[in-house]
Amino acid sequence: MADDGATSLSTSVPAADAFASAAGQPAAIRLDYVTKKYGSVMACDRVDLELRRGRIHGVLGENGAGKSTLMKIMIGLVLPDEGVITINGDRARLTDPTDAARYGIGMVHQHFSLVEALRVWENVALGEVGKLRPADVRARVAEISERYGLDVDPDAIVGDLPVGMRQRVEIIKCLRRDPSILIFDEPTSVLTPAESEGLFETLRHVVDDENRAVALVSHKLDEILRATDEVTIMRQGRVVDRVITADVTASSLAASMVGRDVSLRSERVALGVLDTDLEGTEVPDTVPAAGPCVLELDGITVLSRDSIPVLDDISLTVHAGEIVGVAGVEGNGQRPLADLLSSLLSADSGEVRICGEAVPTGRAGAMAAARVGVVPEDRHDSGVVLDMSITENLALVDASSFARRGLVDRGALRDRAVQLIEDFEISCPGPDAPLASLSGGNQQRVVLARELSSDPRVLVAAQPTRGLDVGAIEYMTDRIRRAAEAGVGVLLISSELEEILDLAHRIVVISDGRIIGEMDRADADLERLGLLMGGAAA
Amino acid sequence: MSTGFDESEVDAISLTPGTGEHEDEPASTQSTTSRRLAVSGEVLVLYLICIAIALGLSALLVQVTGGSAGDVFNALLDGSFRKPGRIGLTIGVAVPLLLVALGTIISTKAGLVNIGQEGQVFLGAAFAAYVGTEMGGPGPLVIVALLIGGVVGGALWAGIAAVLKYRRNVPEVLTTLLLVTVGSQLVGYGLKNQWLLLAPAEGRSNRQQVSKQLTDDVRIPRITWFGNEFPISAFLALAIAALVALALASTVWGFRVRMLGQNPQTAQRAGVAAERYGGGAMMLSGGFAGLAGGAMLAGGDFGNYTLVPGFPSQIGWTGLLVALVARQRVIGAIFAALVFASLRTGSGFLAATGVERRVTDVVQGLLVLALLIPPALLFLRQQRRATAAAGDRT
Repeated sequence: MADDGATSLSTSVPAADAFASAAGQPAAIRLDYVTKKYGSVMACDRVDLELRRGRIHGVLGENGAGKSTLMKIMIGLVLPDEGVITINGDRARLTDPTDAARYGIGMVHQHFSLVEALRVWENVALGEVGKLRPADVRARVAEISERYGLDVDPDAIVGDLPVGMRQRVEIIKCLRRDPSILIFDEPTSVLTPAESEGLFETLRHVVDDENRAVALVSHKLDEILRATDEVTIMRQGRVVDRVITADVTASSLAASMVGRDVSLRSERVALGVLDTDLEGTEVPDTVPAAGPCVLELDGITVLSRDSIPVLDDISLTVHAGEIVGVAGVEGNGQRPLADLLSSLLSADSGEVRICGEAVPTGRAGAMAAARVGVVPEDRHDSGVVLDMSITENLALVDASSFARRGLVDRGALRDRAVQLIEDFEISCPGPDAPLASLSGGNQQRVVLARELSSDPRVLVAAQPTRGLDVGAIEYMTDRIRRAAEAGVGVLLISSELEEILDLAHRIVVISDGRIIGEMDRADADLERLGLLMGGAAA
Repeated sequence: MSTGFDESEVDAISLTPGTGEHEDEPASTQSTTSRRLAVSGEVLVLYLICIAIALGLSALLVQVTGGSAGDVFNALLDGSFRKPGRIGLTIGVAVPLLLVALGTIISTKAGLVNIGQEGQVFLGAAFAAYVGTEMGGPGPLVIVALLIGGVVGGALWAGIAAVLKYRRNVPEVLTTLLLVTVGSQLVGYGLKNQWLLLAPAEGRSNRQQVSKQLTDDVRIPRITWFGNEFPISAFLALAIAALVALALASTVWGFRVRMLGQNPQTAQRAGVAAERYGGGAMMLSGGFAGLAGGAMLAGGDFGNYTLVPGFPSQIGWTGLLVALVARQRVIGAIFAALVFASLRTGSGFLAATGVERRVTDVVQGLLVLALLIPPALLFLRQQRRATAAAGDRT
């Protein structure tokens, strides 16, 4: 349990006592006994949390541990069922984000809320009340940008900025109101390693020199260890541990977060630990590209509606038994690449060949017929039909092979579903349960079961572990590895570098719709990948 | 779990997908059954409440305006069921309503919003009238041919919307609706020209724009059961309803159409071409409306076997409501069609009550509203639960 980590403090000690000696000043915001229930699920179960000025406080937990709900409570987006919120010693009631803003709480969300067609200063001015004074806003943006070294041009159009820059715009939006408490929800998921480093520097500055309080929400151990002063660890809606960051190691944090000792490499990868000191993070065996070429993209260009290339002259090959990782910061063409191989997009030029045969792009079912399996980035979008049963979802692609004269043999379909549910350890009430009643991890297993059971030659796995908990991530990576061992050519599209480094035999880096670097796993290191992901020439 | 209708149990299950560890299979199967029972019980109560409110309001309205509420309700029941022969009439009206509703169910399952049935019915009736009056030959053959003609007419008319949607990306909601007006103008043109549909000058009064009457041998035979006379197309409609239910639930085609309707992206990936399956569903939907038009013309309950301006007389719109009230289910559509048909035939006796027409119109409107509110409420609740479930996962 929680006490596995040698340095953990007793969980029953209220937050204030735990750190009182460490700082000796009152909390900027304090949550006591906060509870939020959705239906019968406890999103937050009697959570205590305390953020203090001059400190970066990490909130660590797996997906679904209740971190996001807790943060939403702090900025008034979600009303807690029970609990007390105290801000600067006064009891506060936060019913909407305006309340929170009045108390000086600002949040940088994981998903940005920027108007792409507008300029930076216009975005910053949005939502302000009173008379608009463009010159003032511009000056303020420039000043904040200067002071924190953010390097943002107030007159740039947001749509032209890369994702990392957009996050800085969000930070400026937040800082402009001079908040005393800043919340960052999974801020590094859209950043290159170098950009993350820059973000942490800014945070440090905000905390040390201006005495603000910062909460950094993350599911990645690495960045918690690197950037925070103290950590609250959550599991299944509860606070399981509170520790001083300097006193803990990745292993003890991981143990608290998952609730048991973490040993496997893939688990560590799932937790975002890329610590060479830990045993088991050695380079995986590299398989020489001896198998036949199963997937070949030849000069693929896809234009957006405004004739801007979203994929620009992409050429890559995947051999049988090989896992090729496509690394890159999100939004650089990963999505169209997966869509192309799902027959959702048609290429404006270039050719896709499966086992040497050209497959028309954008024609319904053509890729599936050529035995290209896809685990899509957003399974609700193109992987499953939520209102259909598990049985039907397992048969989306090949229903006709279970039919006689157009009539579906439901018995046979059901039998197959029962078999697959067992093989892929899908936890469900039965094959007739609607897919929507399954958890995310089990829905993902349904997708995987369908795609792998159709005997694919190529498997495209796009962000296959996103939003899953550690156990599910482990299962997923294991299955992908086994598929490759069985001779499937795997194209792994992921923005999690750890995942790529763990699984891939060969890595290509995608930036701005172009492939800007390719290397064997053995030659890959974080620094080089990071530079490439940032758009530097190979 | 012991009582079949444990509300809290039901709610807990339906509100929290994906979180429970459903390990004991029999128990959860049982709860699914009990949930279904509870839900259908709930629906029934909901309908009863809504209808009671509508009846109450109607009675109040009629009394306040100086009429007798009892007379009005008696007239409605007399007209639809109680007086001899009226059930047959109600069935005769229910046939095209059911056919239109079946077509609507198909297009809705494919994720399309076809709201132009009124026009598709008209076009179908026009094609049927042309075939029925121009084609010679043995009666039964002509009947089959004119019904097929109706299907073709309706399908072509809906096909225009399908082509516009899949070739030019024009929303079918707009095109199907607007084509209703175009369709009635087009048939109007046909009814003005003798080389198309207009009957020869002899045998009709001068300005009347009507088609030739179908001759006796090309009319759908009518049978009499217990003093109720109705066209045998009623059995055809029931058979087709069974076929539609089977096709949607158990064929590869139905599976793909449903997939397309529920998640077009997934369908595209899985090999369901929207153009083919969606366009097909749209044309089939129009075809059913056209068939309804043909059956109306040759069935005898509408227009006296003659095509006249305004021939569809709201059957298309009402059929759309039937599908809505039936919540896109075939069995439900059969009952809903009968209910809407009896509202219509029932109104035939309303004039005799002496209550003003405007008031009786409001009474009918209230009753229709009472039928439409429960499905709307159920839909809203479903949405709310979906949102709540989505909230769980963040």
